[in-house]
Amino acid sequence: MNDGNSDDIIHLENVNKFFGTFQALKNINLSVRKGERVVVCGPSGSGKSTLIRCINRLEEHNSGTITVNGHELTDDVKNIDAVRREVGMVFQDFNLFPHMTVVKNLMLAPKLVRKSSRSEAYETAMRYLERVKIPEQADKYPSQLSGGQQQRVAIARALCMNPVIMLFDEPTSALDPEMISEVLDVMTDLARDGMTMICVTHEMGFARSVADNVVFMDEGEIVEMNPPKEFFDNPRSERTRLFLSQVLSY
Amino acid sequence: MSFDIALILDSIPKMLMGIGLTLQLLFLSAALGLTLAIILLLMRISGRWYLAAPTMAYIYIFRGTPILVQIFIIYYGLPQLDFVRDSIFWPILREPFGCAILALTLNTGAYVSEILRGGVLGVDRGLKEAGAALGLSTTHRFIYITTPIAIRLALPAYSNDVISLMKSTALASTITLLDMTGIARTIVAETYAPYEIFMSLMVIYLILTWMIQRSFGWVERCMSRYVREEV
Amino acid sequence: MDALDGWWDDYFWGSVVVAEVFVVALILTILFGLMGAAAKLSGNRAAKAIAGGYTVVFRGTPEILVLLLIYFGSAITLTAIAQIFDPEIKFVDLPPFWAGSFAIALIVGSYATETFRGAFLGVAPGQVEAARALGLSKLQTFVHVRIPAMWRLALPPFGNHMLSLIKDTALIAIIGLEETLFVAAQAIGTTNKPFTMYIVVGVIYLAFSTVITLTVMVLEKYANRHLEIAR
Repeated sequence: MNDGNSDDIIHLENVNKFFGTFQALKNINLSVRKGERVVVCGPSGSGKSTLIRCINRLEEHNSGTITVNGHELTDDVKNIDAVRREVGMVFQDFNLFPHMTVVKNLMLAPKLVRKSSRSEAYETAMRYLERVKIPEQADKYPSQLSGGQQQRVAIARALCMNPVIMLFDEPTSALDPEMISEVLDVMTDLARDGMTMICVTHEMGFARSVADNVVFMDEGEIVEMNPPKEFFDNPRSERTRLFLSQVLSY
Repeated sequence: MSFDIALILDSIPKMLMGIGLTLQLLFLSAALGLTLAIILLLMRISGRWYLAAPTMAYIYIFRGTPILVQIFIIYYGLPQLDFVRDSIFWPILREPFGCAILALTLNTGAYVSEILRGGVLGVDRGLKEAGAALGLSTTHRFIYITTPIAIRLALPAYSNDVISLMKSTALASTITLLDMTGIARTIVAETYAPYEIFMSLMVIYLILTWMIQRSFGWVERCMSRYVREEV
Repeated sequence: MDALDGWWDDYFWGSVVVAEVFVVALILTILFGLMGAAAKLSGNRAAKAIAGGYTVVFRGTPEILVLLLIYFGSAITLTAIAQIFDPEIKFVDLPPFWAGSFAIALIVGSYATETFRGAFLGVAPGQVEAARALGLSKLQTFVHVRIPAMWRLALPPFGNHMLSLIKDTALIAIIGLEETLFVAAQAIGTTNKPFTMYIVVGVIYLAFSTVITLTVMVLEKYANRHLEIAR
């Protein structure tokens, strides 16, 4: 079932994705090992969000194969459910459920999907709230929290499902500048603990210090993938160089 | 031409004798109409054309024709059809009360299902995606995420529809029912004092409207605890 | 369907009456709506209070009551005035056409008041400031910036007001206007086919509603053309 290296936890082979006639992903090949931290960057519209949204099938790919933790993503609902249980996702605009308190946000999926008891779910929720350093906000509604706090809650919510992989879709893009570091701190912490992560972000500092590999995408293609030192100091492609000069110019 | 206060004081209790009927019409058809609306909504968003298409036709017809015409078709028109007279529903459809309830229910059901649909469509797509990413099934997402948010979004429009429905109950007087408006029309026919009678009845209806608005306002506040107060 | 033979003409002329009432009432509705909105937005406390009372009363009471009040009220007033000159006169009324058009325009105008007010306030202040900063006069800003932005905002709800208007014309049959519902009642008197006759009325109204809906869609497309180019 899995052609790649046996350590690969995510494996994409010749993946194509179309929106109508627009091709968002062109022949993507990507392997991620267990415990690997991958940062995906690229100009807007380059397909990086589409790429990670295909990994938990929020978008359906049109051709090629995607295998996640041994499950191949097809129309089979069972496999999709299995993958979504094992893959946590953090969104650009948090997407916390506004009608539930913070702790209820965290307890919902464990109760419904993992069939945890109320007290189990509550304990797990509080444990992760402590981990993201906001246990005191447990009974507030999301709208009463700052953006940075909301994003940390969203990370904790994903962690409550005990995922083996975490996907981050521009987690700091909607944040005020002074709140970015509190979210990146949590993510760095998570990376230190050996979580497999794919992170779409423009935070090049984060990429440099945390990533094992940096992927550069443009116009639906993976242009270049290299460890950060190589990627930043010695970009191979002209497009990568142009992009880096733009994001790093200020 | 003078404004007859004594007549007003005399007529208000008489008209209030009809408030029971007005409220029965309102509450019964509101409850049945909401049930119908939910069924229509589920059919409409089922994604199956053979369920959605008839629903759309139904909504189009009932929103595109006057409620008075619907009442007349049901009350005066249906008895022309033999199969209606032979059906088990005839005891209900023979009575003006049953016809009024049926017409108001069918009418409000069409409007309310569109209001509910507006609520459902208003739920941020990202929230449903977040639910999916957490592994919630489609049904769980609908029950725990879409529904509670959609209800809050639909509530203001729904309260307006309940007020519309309350106003439509007055049309029951056109098929011989003696609700408040029916009684008022009889009094005016006897006394020929339209200003006194109709205007005092309008005040009574205004109080009902105000009470409906207050109740919904209260429900809305309870449901909106999670929304941050506008800064 | 044979029952309909000989009645097509009457239905046609009934439909013409519906269309005429609609046009007259539409003009009055826009007038009342603009006056109401202007009053609500004005600094004048008395004007504000009157407009506020207007929207509360006409949105909170049954349409049929407003219609009956205006028709019978005006009749009683006119009769009283006429009798000053000629005591022999028994009954003078406003023709149902005018009383009815006026009544439904008053009702729908109260909704239009809120729509126009909302549209005026809904224009982004930044647009107006930008125009003023560019040196446009107040009047120029109003004509070139505010009005185009306003009617784009007002159009969708105003489309619904037009649908309410066309449907409310059916009520005027109650005070004897010879529109389609009135035609149907006459036809039933001779043919005894109430279902058939009222269904025809329903179909006619559905046709009117469809035309209005399509017209509003075209207008909306025109009003929002700048949004399409952006894609």
